[in-house]
Amino acid sequence: MGVFEYVWAGVLAVFLGPEAFSLFGIGVPITLVMVVFGFLLGIVIGATPGLGGPFVMAVSLPILISFFGFTPDALLPVMGFLVGVMKGATVGGAVPAILFNTPGTPDALMTTLDGYPMTKRGNAGKALRTAHFASVSGDTFSDLVLFTTAPFLAIIVESYLGFAEKAALIVLSLSFVAAVVGASPMKGLMAAFFGILLASVGTGEDLYPRMTMGTEFLANGFPLITAVLGVLIMGEVITSFEETWRDRRAARVQNQIPQSDDNSLSWSERKALLPYISVSAAVGTLIGALPGIGSTLAATLGYATGQKMHKGPVKFGDGTPEGVAATEAANSSVSGANLIPVLSLGIPGNVSAVFLILAAESIGGFNPGPSVFRFTTSEVNPELVIAFGLFTTMMCANILNWTIGGQFMRWVGVMSKVPKQVLMPMVFLLTITAVYVQETSFDAIFFLLGFGLLGFFMRKLRVPILPFVIAFILASNLETALRQAFAVSGGDPFFLFRSPISIVFLVLSVVVIVFFMCGKKDEAALSSEVS
Amino acid sequence: MKLGTLKAALVGATLMVSTTTSALAEWQPSGPIKLMIAFRAGGGVDTSARLLAEELTARHGWEIIPENVAGRGGAAMAAKLKDEPADGLTIGMTTTDSLAYGILAAKNPGFALEDFENLTTITGSQTGLISKTDRGWRTLSDVIEAAKGGQTIAAGAMSAKLADALYYIGLKNGVDFKIVMVQGGKGGLNGVVADDLDIAWAAGPQTKGVQAGDLINLVSAEAEPLAVSPDAPMLTEYGIDLTFGTKFGVFSPAGIPSEAEEAITAAIVDIVNDPSSKLNEFISKAFAGPQAIAGADFDTFMETAQASAFELLAAVE
Repeated sequence: MGVFEYVWAGVLAVFLGPEAFSLFGIGVPITLVMVVFGFLLGIVIGATPGLGGPFVMAVSLPILISFFGFTPDALLPVMGFLVGVMKGATVGGAVPAILFNTPGTPDALMTTLDGYPMTKRGNAGKALRTAHFASVSGDTFSDLVLFTTAPFLAIIVESYLGFAEKAALIVLSLSFVAAVVGASPMKGLMAAFFGILLASVGTGEDLYPRMTMGTEFLANGFPLITAVLGVLIMGEVITSFEETWRDRRAARVQNQIPQSDDNSLSWSERKALLPYISVSAAVGTLIGALPGIGSTLAATLGYATGQKMHKGPVKFGDGTPEGVAATEAANSSVSGANLIPVLSLGIPGNVSAVFLILAAESIGGFNPGPSVFRFTTSEVNPELVIAFGLFTTMMCANILNWTIGGQFMRWVGVMSKVPKQVLMPMVFLLTITAVYVQETSFDAIFFLLGFGLLGFFMRKLRVPILPFVIAFILASNLETALRQAFAVSGGDPFFLFRSPISIVFLVLSVVVIVFFMCGKKDEAALSSEVS
Repeated sequence: MKLGTLKAALVGATLMVSTTTSALAEWQPSGPIKLMIAFRAGGGVDTSARLLAEELTARHGWEIIPENVAGRGGAAMAAKLKDEPADGLTIGMTTTDSLAYGILAAKNPGFALEDFENLTTITGSQTGLISKTDRGWRTLSDVIEAAKGGQTIAAGAMSAKLADALYYIGLKNGVDFKIVMVQGGKGGLNGVVADDLDIAWAAGPQTKGVQAGDLINLVSAEAEPLAVSPDAPMLTEYGIDLTFGTKFGVFSPAGIPSEAEEAITAAIVDIVNDPSSKLNEFISKAFAGPQAIAGADFDTFMETAQASAFELLAAVE
């Protein structure tokens, strides 16, 4: 099969896949239904302050897997749903930022700077339209970069990197994530090492389980999804319980601000926004392709770049559409590019990518990494078809976003008023249910609560969560690559330092850590996107 | 009197037949059946297990939950399966090696053959040592020659037994392979295709690549020639009197109710032997085709496998 046959097979895998129901005799594919459902839900959740894409992804993943089963047919519907949520939440995050000055997602923080002043002037509708237009443009651009870059990067990785280089590359990615997420690279490193430590329990190549302290309880290690949901979601829930308890007297009063009648966004206004959007989209895509940095920094950089370019009468920060556009285009263009390291290297860079990897690993039949993009001609490479199927679902979500996203976004403003004390207990119960559905064992609930407490204390100590999670997921790949590299070298103790490429990777890992330790960082801009 | 005895015997026989058949027909799982898979997603055991699950659901309405419990060459799954309740709601698919050989190779793995009920085998491996065709090697002799000429040969193995086998082949032929443990049945294949490994064991997934001419089977590790490469030399030509093939088998914790054992085994054997089943199609294409060895035959097979594992261990030591 040639390249175009693979692309076409991917498109067909989405549209000719299993049917959900049929409408006037035409089958509606389940994957498409899941994308639509995920996208709309994503907008609603994104518009709800205190919730975000990761919540929905985490809670729905185990439930979706048990619903769709473990056949390769389940991959596209489940991943399509996750993609929909990812994109929906990005757009939705701008809604409360603009309407009520409360960002729905951390990366929408910069959106409040110009979005809320516009609302106060009666231009909420225009601000929302601007945010949507910028967001969807940036997102689409980023996806196109992903589609064209990931296969080539994967092929290069596959042909130039041996075992030692792959191990060194994982070390580099982990150091990068540890260095850039959170306030202190040292705390990031601690989190990453701790993740590797916990992932080592009960695994390994020996015929008996290691680090179990002789217990049967730990013999199979910590289940992956349970551990990730524990630190990411349970930790967050416990933290917000504490916050709610502390802030219980602080009542928020929200006034209705009268809005102007003409809130449309004309074509000439859109055209005027394009330079800001394209610069921000490029910035966001570049940032997104690096693991761990996330959309918050992209938004900040996009906003700063836009500010430098801006020469209009209304200044940035006083409520100018350009400010909203620069921020939204930057933070939205992160999501597609974030999948570049996932698909080409198997290395997740942010939380959404973590859930896509978890989905692939739990369902089976798709192992994100360089081997996905093997364009075999003699036989069909099913993973490549899935990869193009995934791209198709992203394009479907983009089309939805262009067509109905804007309208839907303006309807969900009401979600911003849902109080946290109602939401959090629901998330708490849903997470426990989701884990039980997946593991069907009570041990898993204990693990979940244990990891939840761990996540809570990490947040209290300001130790970033993301390096922990990514290290936990990558630990087994790292160990395998290290063992293989060591074996191939014939037991050479300096096996990691025998090739120039791996030396470069390792030196870069040290440089990254040292660089970020020296530079002072803006904590708000660089804090982990989950906490 | 005689007639009476006959009658009684007849009634008894009828009763017995009807109870056994009804046990077969009536045993229904009281909930979803967990099917543990001892290897990573994407390999031969994994794919067979998932196809088996699909067919069991389609034919019997049983809800089957496949779960990869990969790691430690199948020992992780075995250790977990042993402790599951023996109620027919948990079964495991693994290679017969991982039990027969793994138990001996690890001094104290925490489980023994007696901890499991042998339900049935599914198929046999088509294990060969593979390399890329463009390396120019045609048989294992070429590789041995290259190694003797000073070339380092990185060789992939997915189980402790196959790693020992590589060591043993090297020992008998005066060469030293750099043995690399790979993950799952496809790990070696991926390593060879990506040029990270020179040669690797593959238990069947290499078939398509060999047919396409991209890969070559340098030697057969089975007792018979490989179906896809009938001309590949046998291990006996290299002074090895052991074979390293394995079978995919389904096991349950010891002591499951016999009606559950019979019902599950019968259901699996049916699917394995039915040419229209997806499982049958898959194992015929990539592996040794349907080989359902069940019941007492399977018990004998496992004993023989363990005896030959003893031999290899003794030879390597």
